Amino acid sequence: MNLEIIRRPFNRYFLRHNPYLFALFLLLLSLAINYFLQPNLFDLRVLNGNMRIFLPLMILAAGQSIVVLGGGIDLSVGTVVSLVNAVLITNLARESGPVEVLWAIALGLGIGLLAGAFNGLCVAYLRLQPIVTTYATSFIYSGLALYILPRPGGAIPAELARLYRSTPASIPFTLLMVVLLLLIWKLIRATRFGTFLYALGGDAEASFTTGIRVSRMRLWIYTVSGGFAALSAVALTLSTSTGDPRIGESMTLDSIVAVVLGGTRLSGGYGGIAGSIIGVAILGTIRNIISFANVPTWWQTLVDAVIIVSALAGPGLIKLLRRGS
Amino acid sequence: MKKITLSAQNLIKRYGGVVALANGNLSISSGEVLALVGANGSGKSTLGKIITGVVQPDGGDLHVDGQPVRLGSPQVARRLGITAVYQELSLIADMSVTENIWLSHEPRRWGLVDTRQMDRHTETLLELFAGTVSPNLQPSTLIGELPPDEKQVVEILKALSWDPRLIILDEATASLDSRQVARLFELVARWQADGRAVIIVSHRMEENYRVAQRATVLRGGEAVADRVLADTPTAELVQLMIPDSAVRVKKTAADDELTQRPVRLAVNHLKTKRLKDISLSIRDGELLGIGGLRGQGQEELLRALFGVVPYEGEVRVSQKDVHFKHPQEAIGHGVALVPGDRGTEGLLLSRSILENLQLPSWAQYGRILNMKSARSDAQAAGRDLRLKMGALSDPVSSLSGGNAQKVVLGKWLLRSPKLLLLNDPTKGVDVGAKGEFYQILDSLRAAGTAVLFYSSDDEELLWLCDRILVMHDGGVSAELHGEHLTHANLVAASMGSVGSMENHV
Repeated sequence: MNLEIIRRPFNRYFLRHNPYLFALFLLLLSLAINYFLQPNLFDLRVLNGNMRIFLPLMILAAGQSIVVLGGGIDLSVGTVVSLVNAVLITNLARESGPVEVLWAIALGLGIGLLAGAFNGLCVAYLRLQPIVTTYATSFIYSGLALYILPRPGGAIPAELARLYRSTPASIPFTLLMVVLLLLIWKLIRATRFGTFLYALGGDAEASFTTGIRVSRMRLWIYTVSGGFAALSAVALTLSTSTGDPRIGESMTLDSIVAVVLGGTRLSGGYGGIAGSIIGVAILGTIRNIISFANVPTWWQTLVDAVIIVSALAGPGLIKLLRRGS
Repeated sequence: MKKITLSAQNLIKRYGGVVALANGNLSISSGEVLALVGANGSGKSTLGKIITGVVQPDGGDLHVDGQPVRLGSPQVARRLGITAVYQELSLIADMSVTENIWLSHEPRRWGLVDTRQMDRHTETLLELFAGTVSPNLQPSTLIGELPPDEKQVVEILKALSWDPRLIILDEATASLDSRQVARLFELVARWQADGRAVIIVSHRMEENYRVAQRATVLRGGEAVADRVLADTPTAELVQLMIPDSAVRVKKTAADDELTQRPVRLAVNHLKTKRLKDISLSIRDGELLGIGGLRGQGQEELLRALFGVVPYEGEVRVSQKDVHFKHPQEAIGHGVALVPGDRGTEGLLLSRSILENLQLPSWAQYGRILNMKSARSDAQAAGRDLRLKMGALSDPVSSLSGGNAQKVVLGKWLLRSPKLLLLNDPTKGVDVGAKGEFYQILDSLRAAGTAVLFYSSDDEELLWLCDRILVMHDGGVSAELHGEHLTHANLVAASMGSVGSMENHV
């Protein structure tokens, strides 16, 4: 029986141990279709334009994956983006200097971490259900965002917007940020926090008996998620150059869809951030395809949803077929 | 190795109203191997969990190296050099062997986990079991891909990776093969020579004698004896484990009449992954008990007979050859299973009593359910069961444990089964409710239902059953009836020590 693992063909072994594989396949497929409809897809200008839109959700999905890997879920991330966006825009103006910019970003980050820590306290120490807790706290954050910035508006220094769009050495700045994100993840993965994260999501009870401080870990996980949401808000603010107290709302569910598309198990303990980043790219490409395929506007949401549902069902269908044979 | 002495005095642990440990005493010091022995529910696991900080005692004292200590969490115990190999393994399926072994004490370099050093240490540890495990067991193998025995080996190495002064082996040999057990016991001897202390809990009596010098005997949550094993024959140790309740003479008058009844269930050479060649038969109106220590395959037997677990072998129900592949088929032949874990298998806790009672029976109330007759049937069942409840529409979670268990039984009684399989139905049920439960069983038996009754409560089995099959390691180690139906025989057979049982049938 044990020899089976050795005899199993290499590619099946590889399949089982690479959570991103299906996501990569989907990405290549959607990119191919997108390229067919939009031949200049890989032009620097078009690539840069796409990446500018994808980056905020990629950062957000990265934070969401950390929560999901640890066995939780965070439904407040989108409203934290709105809140931090509101904070940034009220502390920035077209003529802000570097000091003011750094101050605004530090403030935004701090608020994101605080919002995450509040979620963490509720989940870890008050033992509330993550899905309900973070849904409830999302109203606090969106209320605060509306209080700080009652209506859309505001501006940021032009240099900041230009930095975000820049392409040093013909590589989009945003793509460099993705590489940085992956490096940070690799670093997190190499720390104890990274190991504990997978252990906690894999089996909380066994983690406890092994001596992991489960509550403290949960607090950290949600705090980190809040931090990623704040970073996402920074990227989003640079991208849109303005403020909107509802801007992040639709991003929460997108972040979860991206995590699942990327092969991370929703109950935790299996997967990774790279998959979620691929997931966002898939989502974005699908939306490109829909807009280039001349789908009538009133069909767009439906087509979008159908594609996403079939993409989500993909791995399960493959498993079902394999069991059948 | 720094020496260790540990002593526990008068430890108490209650779970709700149930006393798991009433007076836990134990002492051990470096270079000793102590066996912790006792029948089901005597508190062995609880005592072990208190010593490793997993469970907090409600009273009593713990001293380590002469100092009073409070082991508030597994980390605290770990810091004092105490680790355990847990019976329910503490491994994470999606992580590698290395990651599991070093979890929460990963070697680090510049704040990062030093994977290379970790793998090297793991290889050293794996060498301890070299030759007894398959070549697949590598540092990078995922735990989920390992067979049970190799998972157990990893669990042992995980405990060892802390370089503990005191190791508790709680049923660590249960899933190991004989070569691996032999290797483990060589290691235990080596640990002993190194000056470590070892506490072993094993359902195999022979193993206790093989490695331990001393045994602490637990009975009903109390430490009743501390014996040097070399001077204590097995029979004496078994006697110590039995509660000194009055010996009861079984009424066996019905035996002759019973043999005239038709055979309801006949099983021949039933095998599953865990079960080794089980044969048994029950007649109508008979209550056949299944005994033995927990986890010897009793549940698997019941689940196989109910079509939940695939099996090989011959099963005849009501004189017809059957091979159930799904509970639905078993139910169709008049078989019912009352599961052991009523919370997860038997009840929809948040749904009403009515819904729970009628769950298997809705088909008989028509396509558009005749709620009126469903309700009156349920009401009648509730009366028969003497169910203490508010209204039928109340959720099952509003009932006490004993009453909830009656609902589990009641939902099958509404279908009037021919063969009732009971999986430890009185676990965690208070005494009063148990009494009523027994009366229900009696009336079922009088009505001619054949009952196969697994219980982890030895006294209950002896009290209720005419005949008991004792299971050990997936097989039947003894069949007790008539004058052989004594507690001593039951415990001895549970421990697999057939040698001391001259009246083995």
